Amino acid sequence: MLTIYGRQQRFCDGLNRRNFIKIGALGMGGLSLPHLLKAESLSGVGNSNKAIIMIYLPGGPPHQDMYEIKTEAPSEIRGEFKPIKTNVPGIHVCEHLPLLAKMTDKLILLRTIVGAKDSHSSHQCMTGRLKDNPPPGGWPEIGSVISKLEGPTHPAVPPYVNLTPPMLHPPYNFGHPSFLGAGHTPFRPAGESINDMMLQDISLERLRDRRALLKSFDRFRRDADQSRLMEGLDAFNEQAFDVLTSSRLLEALDLEKEDPRIRERYGEGTPQHQGDAAPRLMGQFLLARRLVEAGVRCVTVSFSFWDFHGANFKRARENLPPFDQGVSALVEDLHQRGLDKDVTVIAWGEFGRTPKINKGGGRDHWPQVSCALLAGGGMRTGQAIGITNRLGEEPKERPVHFQEVFATLYHNLGINANKTQLTDFADRPHYLVDDHQPLPEVT
Amino acid sequence: MATRSILVRLAGIALVCFIKTSYVGGETTQPRISSEVNQITELTIESGRMHVGNPTTGTLLLGPEARQQLVVTARVLDGRLVDYTRLVEYESKPVGVITIDETGFVTPLANGTVCITGKAGPGMFCTIKLTIREINKSRPINFPNQIVPIFTKSGCNGGGCHGKSSGQNGFRLSLLGFEPKEDFEHLVVEGRGRRLFPAAPERSLLLRKAAAIVPHGGGRRVSEDAPAFDLISRWIRQGMPYGKPNDPKVAQIQVLPDHRLMSQNQEQQLVVIATYTDDSTQDVTRLVQYESNEKDMAEVSKTGLVEVGEQAGQVAVMVRFQDQVATFRVTIPHGAPVKEGLPVRNFIDQWVFRKLQTLELPPSQRCDDPTFLRRASIDIAGRLPTPTEAKSFLADPNPRKREKWIDTLLASPGYADYFANKWNAILRNKRRDAASMRGNFLFRNWIRESLYQNKPYDRFMREIITASGEIGRSPAVTWYREVNKTDDQVQDAAQIFLGVRLQCARCHHHPFEKWSQKDYYGFAAFFSRISRKPGTQSGEEVVFHERGTAAAINPKTKLPAKPTGLGTESLDIPPDQDPRHALADWMAAKENPFFARMLVNRYWKHFFARGLVEPEDDMRVTNPPTNPELLDALAGHFISHGYDLKDLIRTICQSQTYQLSSYPNRYNSNDGQNFSRYYARRLTAEVLLDAIDHVTNVQTIFAGQPRGTRAMQLPDNSYNTSSYFLKLFGRPNNASASESERTQDANLAQSLHLLNSQKIQEKVTSEEGRVVRLAKDTNQSDEEKIRELYYWVFSREPEDEELNIALNYIQNTQLASADHETLQNKLQEAYQDTLWALLNTKEFLFNH
Repeated sequence: MLTIYGRQQRFCDGLNRRNFIKIGALGMGGLSLPHLLKAESLSGVGNSNKAIIMIYLPGGPPHQDMYEIKTEAPSEIRGEFKPIKTNVPGIHVCEHLPLLAKMTDKLILLRTIVGAKDSHSSHQCMTGRLKDNPPPGGWPEIGSVISKLEGPTHPAVPPYVNLTPPMLHPPYNFGHPSFLGAGHTPFRPAGESINDMMLQDISLERLRDRRALLKSFDRFRRDADQSRLMEGLDAFNEQAFDVLTSSRLLEALDLEKEDPRIRERYGEGTPQHQGDAAPRLMGQFLLARRLVEAGVRCVTVSFSFWDFHGANFKRARENLPPFDQGVSALVEDLHQRGLDKDVTVIAWGEFGRTPKINKGGGRDHWPQVSCALLAGGGMRTGQAIGITNRLGEEPKERPVHFQEVFATLYHNLGINANKTQLTDFADRPHYLVDDHQPLPEVT
Repeated sequence: MATRSILVRLAGIALVCFIKTSYVGGETTQPRISSEVNQITELTIESGRMHVGNPTTGTLLLGPEARQQLVVTARVLDGRLVDYTRLVEYESKPVGVITIDETGFVTPLANGTVCITGKAGPGMFCTIKLTIREINKSRPINFPNQIVPIFTKSGCNGGGCHGKSSGQNGFRLSLLGFEPKEDFEHLVVEGRGRRLFPAAPERSLLLRKAAAIVPHGGGRRVSEDAPAFDLISRWIRQGMPYGKPNDPKVAQIQVLPDHRLMSQNQEQQLVVIATYTDDSTQDVTRLVQYESNEKDMAEVSKTGLVEVGEQAGQVAVMVRFQDQVATFRVTIPHGAPVKEGLPVRNFIDQWVFRKLQTLELPPSQRCDDPTFLRRASIDIAGRLPTPTEAKSFLADPNPRKREKWIDTLLASPGYADYFANKWNAILRNKRRDAASMRGNFLFRNWIRESLYQNKPYDRFMREIITASGEIGRSPAVTWYREVNKTDDQVQDAAQIFLGVRLQCARCHHHPFEKWSQKDYYGFAAFFSRISRKPGTQSGEEVVFHERGTAAAINPKTKLPAKPTGLGTESLDIPPDQDPRHALADWMAAKENPFFARMLVNRYWKHFFARGLVEPEDDMRVTNPPTNPELLDALAGHFISHGYDLKDLIRTICQSQTYQLSSYPNRYNSNDGQNFSRYYARRLTAEVLLDAIDHVTNVQTIFAGQPRGTRAMQLPDNSYNTSSYFLKLFGRPNNASASESERTQDANLAQSLHLLNSQKIQEKVTSEEGRVVRLAKDTNQSDEEKIRELYYWVFSREPEDEELNIALNYIQNTQLASADHETLQNKLQEAYQDTLWALLNTKEFLFNH
């Protein structure tokens, strides 16, 4: 039985819709043992492909309630949570992040992200750029950039995968290759494209017949196409047949293949969309790891909904523990598999939240400062970077710009973001990152 | 221009010696003589400069900084010119005036006149005279002319380093040195004492960083013994002068040679001469920047040595010095004989075939009738022919039937739909919200009607550029809705109608062009009097001319710029006149150097997959056409035929060039720029979806559009959201004036969709669809049915082998079937599979 997360969710209906697509009857015929073994050997578990897993926290999580509890602030700012010690002396985190606290030596906590805009959008987290004055075609996402620069590691595996099902608030959604062109759109195992991955009312046998028939008909001279797109199509067709019969991609997307203990360590969460944003599924972090192992270079996933205008603490209590469990499981898992040098994990949202708690017990938008968690990527972990002022309003020390984080992510992939150029629709070249270097503290 | 470069070349040749001239040898190193030496008929040595003063003194090198790169050229027996700069031995007399190295680079040592001899072999030599003067005269160094070029050459002021708008680590230079005054401010005035120490120039931070004596993020850019290091030191010692206001400026640069036919793996030394406003000249060969536009084919060193690789074709090397640019073009022939007298149908073939003869690149054969029929139908009307059309075309014995078919297509509504779809994206007819819908529909209809009626292109442009009033009466006003800021209007108008990318010049001098902010704001002034007020319908606007003097403020100078066409004089337009009419007048004038060329290049690309200039809307000196004569001829034809778009298409499609096969011959499989064959390409999103509907006979239904609306007829981009297919296959979102917004890249999701989507499966299996009906039809034999299917999909008869494959597949299903009902189902499935397979062939997916 193959389990894939997918299907568009509506948060408001409250119905317990079918949240998984079960593809047993359709797909089982192709999942023969030899296929599996072959896929396993090809996938090169523990291979050295550099990759990024980006966890987007839509809505903007409360920075002061996660990695830097402002104990000295007055109560209308400090809030309800207490700090706890981590396994790195001197670093404290929120009491609702106990598992991360035990592994802070494997994390980098960025507490002073600046340069954000007060806009509910994933754009800046995905592109590192503001939306103002975009170049012709718009700024591409980091996954599309990686796809463009590095291409796929394996013909049957797309370089950029977006695991997020469509979210109700349009700007939360991402997957825009922008000026890099549609060829660098992330593969999204959801909606129509996941349907396309499953055989449509025809048997595997008939697909084989069709494939053979196509092969005998399709004899048009490939050298008629000087651009070599015909050969490209052949390669993608092979990849598609691979997906349809049994492929590493589909395997990677199948959580049933995973050790139950590992699945338990990550936890399940809920496939129900939270607010107008994403589901709260820790299993997606596990999927991300599986995809990266299969050769995907960038996996993006959205987690829950963090726009806590009301009842900040109640909602943080609901969301922080699953986040704690899922992210700590991912980091631990990457270390256990020896992927911690190759895979960078980042979790962040579009902005921070107001120091002052509002009448409804919530916190509002606060682009002046926000936070992020980094792990893996061969970075010097076990540090917290930056300190906000007493009230958590703005950086007191070491403001970290969004673009520094992007320069670091590219650096971890072996890409010099300050020297690498891509051209927009008007053929104007742009550096991946302007004006900012990788974080010197971690590289 | 051509005359001038010939003049320079002739003047720059000091002496030409022939074989029989005796050679007086001196002490030299081991000769480096090429095997071709016996074939040399003539050897020439050049400095690239005009003579100054007395011809007996030869080329004059004035002052201590003067240098001279020499170029030696051999003419060999077959008439070719070969670079011998590094193959001859040099000797200079008298000794001690200059040194010359084996690359032909001259460094003066003392004042005097010297005769340099380059010897290629016994009795084969050439000489040139140089005169050195004022070598000890220390002249004030000029910052813009001498220091800034060092920053550019060394990459200090590139966009990735100190040339960024924010500088790098506190040190800021203007991008590529286009603003020397600002550079002087930052370096000398603001940073006094920080980077420059006049008392001990070599201890200046500027030099210590540049030479990486102290750690420098950019590494070593200038070594301590380099002339540039010395020059900067002397400049600092002189007290960092800026230069006098009336010091000469660079007026022009010229590269010698400017064009050369080269064989694989050959090299060519360039000389670049700058002419200053006082008519003096300088050799700037080692001071300029070089960039090859096809790095796979040719590379250029910092000293101006061009090395070509294995690939044949054409390359342009851009040369940039301060705000001047020049181009060296290389043609690398393929080495295959091209017959004289290739079939020429019109002037297009004349120029294309002339080029192919130069390139020694034989074209492919003419394509067959079915291929032509399908190709022209797709390229002109965006659709496949019906079997009826195909059969009657193939059966028609008229030798002019291809011309007739072109005319039929041009007169058909399909032509208007297809080209309206193209222009709709270029003109950014984008759906913003429900209120924009009326404008979207009206504008698309206006475009379509303009094309259908064959409105002359200059009028089409004028009606858009000068659009005024409300959307209902003047639908072209919709252009101003999406293109709503002056900057957008400047950039879109210049890019769409002139092929000029002005956007760079908004903030800084265009790095590869002559356009500066002065040009940008002069152009912007044409749009400065546009005003808007709410329209009668909510969410709509009325565009009108607001009385007043047209001007745009240049943010750098803070001065108003008057309306100015690119490269022309400013205009004084009375306040009552809408300046946009003057802009349209200037664009549509017969002598406008951009307008017609841009359109013919855009349309050329439409039919040939590649522009004569590529990208099609980036026309500039440093991005030359692959076939300049053809581009000129097409533009001339277009102008003299009254900007008639249908005539242009007819002319293009009637050419032999357009009708060449896409199959390569032995020689032209790598040709992607000379049109020696038709370049196959995948059907675009809309054409492909319509073609699938046409073949399967199952129409896609678009929300809010009447049944039967084809993808090609959709009024705007909003349908890309509801149609996964259109989005997946790259239909543009009308967000950019550039046609490159449409992507033709392949990806996995596309393959999965064509091979396995429910949508395609439904079309193939529909009870109402073509193939199920065909399978059920008892009046036709399987063979007849397959033949018909082939006409629908490929507009041709199947070959015997193809027929056999299909028949075998269909008949095999019958063998395995037990009863009649199973048989019927299996039979239908076999037909469905056959259609599915045909739809996924490259022959179907491509226009070829």
